[in-house]
Amino acid sequence: MTITQPHFVRSAITVMVLGILWFNPNIGIAQSKEDKTLAAQKADAKEFFSKRVTPFIKKYCIDCHQNRRPTEAGLSFDPAVRSPGHAAFSEKWKKSAARVKAHDMPPEGMDQPSDKERQMFAEWQQKVKYLSPKDPGPFVIRRLTKTEYGNTLHDLLGVDPNIVASLPDEVSGEGYLNSLSPLQLEQYLTISENVLNQVLAPEGEPPTEIQKQLFGEPPTSESDTQEKARKVARSLARNAYRRPPSDAETDVLLKVFELGRQNDLSYQASCRLMLKAILVSPQFLFITPAKEIKAEKGIVPLDDYQLASRLSYLLWATMPDDELMTLADQGKLHETPVLKAQVTRMLMDVRSRALFDGFGAQWLKLGNLQERTFDLEKFPQMNAALRTAMYDEARLFFESIVRENRSVSNFIDSDYTFLNENLATIYGLEKTVTGPEMRKVKLTDDNRGGILGMPGVLAATSFPNRTSPVNRGVWVLEQVLGDHVPPAPPDVPSLEKQDQKQIANLTLRERTELHRSEAVCANCHRLLDPIGFGLENFDAIGRWRDQDENGQAIDASGELPGGRNFSNPKQLKTIIADHNAKFSRNLVERLLAYALCRRLEGYDEIVIDELMQKIAKDDYRMQTLITEVVTSYPFTHRRIE
Amino acid sequence: MSNYKAINRRTCLKGLGAALALPLLDVMGWAEASEKHEFKPPVRMGFMYMPHGVIMDQFWPKDAKSFLTSPPPALESLRPVLDQCLLMKGIAGVSNGPFRGAPHALELSTWLTAALPDPDKRDEISISISADQIAANSLGAFTALPSLELATMPQTWKENQAGLNEAYYSHCSFRSPTQAVPAETNPRNVLNRLFHKKEQGGGLAASRMSSLDRSMLDLVIGGARDLRRTLSQTDQRKLDQYLDSVRSVERRIAAIEMRQKEAALEKAGVRPSRSHKTDSPPIEIKIPEGDKRSEYMQVMCDLNVLAFQTDTTRVCTYIGSTPNGVSYPELGFNDQHHSQTHHNGQEKKVKKVAAITKFNIDQFAYMVNKMHSLKEGDGTLLDNCIMMWGSGLEDGDRHSRANLPFILAGSGGGAINTGRFLPDVKGNQGDLLTTLLTCAGIPLDRPVGIATKQIAEIPAKS
Repeated sequence: MTITQPHFVRSAITVMVLGILWFNPNIGIAQSKEDKTLAAQKADAKEFFSKRVTPFIKKYCIDCHQNRRPTEAGLSFDPAVRSPGHAAFSEKWKKSAARVKAHDMPPEGMDQPSDKERQMFAEWQQKVKYLSPKDPGPFVIRRLTKTEYGNTLHDLLGVDPNIVASLPDEVSGEGYLNSLSPLQLEQYLTISENVLNQVLAPEGEPPTEIQKQLFGEPPTSESDTQEKARKVARSLARNAYRRPPSDAETDVLLKVFELGRQNDLSYQASCRLMLKAILVSPQFLFITPAKEIKAEKGIVPLDDYQLASRLSYLLWATMPDDELMTLADQGKLHETPVLKAQVTRMLMDVRSRALFDGFGAQWLKLGNLQERTFDLEKFPQMNAALRTAMYDEARLFFESIVRENRSVSNFIDSDYTFLNENLATIYGLEKTVTGPEMRKVKLTDDNRGGILGMPGVLAATSFPNRTSPVNRGVWVLEQVLGDHVPPAPPDVPSLEKQDQKQIANLTLRERTELHRSEAVCANCHRLLDPIGFGLENFDAIGRWRDQDENGQAIDASGELPGGRNFSNPKQLKTIIADHNAKFSRNLVERLLAYALCRRLEGYDEIVIDELMQKIAKDDYRMQTLITEVVTSYPFTHRRIE
Repeated sequence: MSNYKAINRRTCLKGLGAALALPLLDVMGWAEASEKHEFKPPVRMGFMYMPHGVIMDQFWPKDAKSFLTSPPPALESLRPVLDQCLLMKGIAGVSNGPFRGAPHALELSTWLTAALPDPDKRDEISISISADQIAANSLGAFTALPSLELATMPQTWKENQAGLNEAYYSHCSFRSPTQAVPAETNPRNVLNRLFHKKEQGGGLAASRMSSLDRSMLDLVIGGARDLRRTLSQTDQRKLDQYLDSVRSVERRIAAIEMRQKEAALEKAGVRPSRSHKTDSPPIEIKIPEGDKRSEYMQVMCDLNVLAFQTDTTRVCTYIGSTPNGVSYPELGFNDQHHSQTHHNGQEKKVKKVAAITKFNIDQFAYMVNKMHSLKEGDGTLLDNCIMMWGSGLEDGDRHSRANLPFILAGSGGGAINTGRFLPDVKGNQGDLLTTLLTCAGIPLDRPVGIATKQIAEIPAKS
């Protein structure tokens, strides 16, 4: 499979280079050796760039791609020649390498590089990362997402997380907007009012249980009040801000309390006003650092409270619990063994369901399964209950791999899944699985088991009324193998110069194969389509079929570039399973980007290289994978500027 | 009020700084007063979007002459208000340039910005302030809500084209180059927010805030400023969004209170009424029970109408549909909009795209027809609006953007010369937006996006 070759070669080399290092028991020395290796690679990349890449660019590219002559693509190599490692250029390197490789560039009629030169330019892609400075990226104060905000209110005050339903939905993880609009602020004001009305007793009535916990017993004397209020302010703020408040922050809350007193409010009512102030404070709505930063620029480790929040919101989508907070108080959380133990503990907790709801569903593209349109005449069984079962199957499967610490290769192939009676009909197992509750079921059919044969995934990659081999192919390449499939080019030449009637008689497969008769389309579709055809035995909602709706036999055979043949989903799964390293790397990249809420670039690639070594060594176990992401340099550090 | 003196809105806006001078508002009332001491209704701007372009021969009128008498099939439902509409062919879209691989990621986000994202910061939001938000900055100063942003689908589409931030897919309003404005999708929430219904989850709690609450908020803001001093620069910029949002809410409260005071004065007969005896009463909002798309979109349109009618806001943007993943079961087929637009001329698909386009225009027509039926001052509500419907592509099949389809309805109080089809306009979408903002009386310190000029054919000759 040629698509995966460069990845493999690269991984293999790094395995060899870095593999040696782990056997060194002295981590300190290994660290410095690692740095030395990196320094050597950086020097090599620099030399490669000046001796080979620069002459290539000067000879073939820069006549058109320069500052003075902006091209349609807006690409100029002038800044890249000066600072090739700049993050702003990484995307452009990727693109230009792809276009040179595809013989798209230089355009016809210009000097053409030799194949060897083209190969060299592609190689540069693998080296450019070594020019990036060691950089964890920024961790800008982050607003809680809608889900996180709801869960935090629940943990803090015991309200239903759905109390935040009126907020606009948003994308979490990579691509998270992390912005705050007046609309959202208005909602925060309203929601905080609703929350307080729910959990606190009206003025004059006896306090609720939670109120007693939060505000304590009313003070007995006036002199006692100040002291008591300060205590309450500190404890409320510590929980809500997820870190101890600074003296200035406590003072602000006390001023709010005093404001209440001056307006003749009771002790309870003044405390309420204080809590209200907390709920609309930026310290509650955002994850903020506990310590003031003295330096203007530089790289600092996250303080333990920030780390506790980052970790807790990643794995649980809610505020840190007492154990995390205690470790942060003790200043121990950042210690690698402590952090690792916490990850394991947190993953075993039911709250780690959030990792699937946030990350897993996004990765598998199941997030909008409930809202997707299906042709209900063709698939009347696609009701809310079945969709929920499909989603839950993927969730329980994901959770079983996490909690049982299985190898991620189980995602591709495994002999069990989770079904209820409803969903079992899709599998044809309705005789053995009865009742509405989801339970673990052993599978004997090798075409099933793993995400590739999972109804939710198969449905999410289909059109409302039929399968889409192209969508499924893209899904496998992008979500499973981490390749990037460019969208169809604009101005697609007409496929149907042929007789329309004749086309109507073709099978879906034959029609789809028309893509490959056109050179512009063939490049991508020759990769995409065979993968999708390999899954054609599954219909648009994931049922097995031997014939399509017109009664024609399903042809699920194909050949992937590189010459590997298959004739059914089971064999396709086996081929993809052989690319476990590539699959795991994709999973790690996605999880890291999700955890950091940003796109990966430059130095992150080096980080991933290192993580992959450690993860591979532990047989790609899921908890190891998550632990490595959480203990990684970019997750535990931040750049300030 | 013998010493009452109307101030020209433009003069006023020029001097309007960050601090809103409330007494000025009082004098301003509703724009210029006529000789009869009646207020002239203000200009409102509405924008409604549909992705993926149109079937061109069903959208463009045959010629300028036949436009009013035999409009093209897609515009059939606009027939009652055609003389209030303006169509222009020849408005070029922003060229996709370095984002050729992302036709759908950018069709919505370039629609009101007329600008491309910064190619070096494609991971974050970095584009231009959008025309509706420019309008909100001016017109919004006078209303309880500076602007209203609505959408049919949640803005959570996740697909990464050409390395662009996901938000480019589903947002068209940008408060600043780096801040996308989220839209509301729940009609009930919108209703509560507009009219401060005290139901659970709705209403502007801030507008009911006691003076005590406000003093509390002042202390919180003071605390936020303290916090700001301890943060790094990038963190500070993020916190500024919080502070900016608080200010915006405070401004809203002030505007609401101003309104209440004005209303009290009007009631006491101390000042002339801003409403006219001829004005239609506010329309009723019925929130549909089922999940029929047309009913849903119509209630969103109704909310837009009501918000304009009650002068709760003067700017509304409605993302009627979003690129990708959207089907229209109500039309008798389940295919996704996008998949049909790559029709290659196949009749079946072309028909479906035409039906989807007509469906979307029908909803827009529902809204402007309703505006036309509501009396306001000497004319109708529509007379005082500038409503724009459009798409970010011309032909979804080829992703072309040479002649973007736009429909304008309403003359903005006579500022636009309507009832015409201009078959050969030379300009781009930035020029169009610049012209429309100018027609609404909004002073611009620079043109919108790629604009280089005003489109002279659009305004009514004064």
